[in-house]
Amino acid sequence: MDKPQNHPFGELLAAYSAGSLPLSQALCISAHLEHCDSCARQLQHLNRVGTELMQQLTPSKASDELKNRLLERLDSLEAETPRHESARVDSSIPRCLRQFVDSSYGGLRWKRISADIHSVELCRDSNGAKVELLKIKPGGSATTHTHLGDEYTVILEGSFSDESGLYRKGDFVVKDKNDKHTPVATRDSECICLAVTEGPIQFTGPISRLLNPLIRRSYA
Amino acid sequence: MPAMTNRKLPSDKLIALGELMKKVAVDRDKTAFASLFDHYAPLIRAYSLAREPGSDLVADELVQEVMTRVWLKAAKYNPRLANLNTWIFTLARNCRIDYLRRNSRYVTEIDPTDIFNDMEDDGPGPFQLAQQTRAEESIRAGLEELPREQCEILTKVYLEGKSHQQASEELKLPLGTVKSRVRLALKKLEVLVER
Repeated sequence: MDKPQNHPFGELLAAYSAGSLPLSQALCISAHLEHCDSCARQLQHLNRVGTELMQQLTPSKASDELKNRLLERLDSLEAETPRHESARVDSSIPRCLRQFVDSSYGGLRWKRISADIHSVELCRDSNGAKVELLKIKPGGSATTHTHLGDEYTVILEGSFSDESGLYRKGDFVVKDKNDKHTPVATRDSECICLAVTEGPIQFTGPISRLLNPLIRRSYA
Repeated sequence: MPAMTNRKLPSDKLIALGELMKKVAVDRDKTAFASLFDHYAPLIRAYSLAREPGSDLVADELVQEVMTRVWLKAAKYNPRLANLNTWIFTLARNCRIDYLRRNSRYVTEIDPTDIFNDMEDDGPGPFQLAQQTRAEESIRAGLEELPREQCEILTKVYLEGKSHQQASEELKLPLGTVKSRVRLALKKLEVLVER
């Protein structure tokens, strides 16, 4: 497998390691990590930073009552814990996405956005960010757009290119509101991406611009 | 900024804790578990209080959650993936994420369980790094030499659980400055992988 060439910045991985990243962004980092040995190794170093910072805190004594209550419960803990068997899924689906994708990408309820693009919304984050999968047909193009907030993309299948380069499976891409881009899927296969958008995207074409008020409304 | 001490944890102490952990995993030894509790519960409380000063109930709840996982997952803990301190840190972090999600004003359906793994044997991408102790010692030494403002930003992000945006508001700094400060600190600690 080709190694991803586009990685999250160190400070974003640190925020993931610290647990201070919005869950929607953490989802993208996690999907990237499954493809990227180098970031997984980096994460281990970053977890050690958190570990050492925690060790430097001034300990705050726990009560004996808390300890005894827990000790008394130990025997019954195992019985209380539900065992959930992991369902059989397409192993190419990242572990972090299996909560949304039951068996395969094909089984999802894709909605047609344009002749070239289908999408399926997976959920919203508590900060309002939209988490969705996008599917671009081989050689297909997304309308030129900008964003009102940041957009995080991880390529899950296939590849696409835009004004700034070629992105392949596992690549992690962030676009901010100043980046205007037109992604085009490569011709040999369809491209499936995980996309998190913090605010609605803005179409910049003369006709597609008319869609902007409608799209904004779906974020209200 | 939460109070810090330069309390060192010698590696033989960590080895002793590792032995206790083994007894918990293999023999289901409750006395060993109680000793682990005595060592880690105060640190877990401190970690929780760093984010929510004064919230003793929240801190106790976090201790209970983390130590429950330690008992239940003991057999899955692999010291070659992470030393015990790091395992406890990731468990505490994951439990805190869970707690915040359940108690957030704006709910989300995103389940963090599969996003942050607990560093178990069956977790994705296991990297068994040799010289773990050495790496930890060099990070500890590096933290002591970090300029105050870089240490402050790492504390905000890691211990207080602040997003870059929140840190920028609290410190009255542009977002870009917050990000570059984190990056500089990580560079100084030599934890950024070259690619």
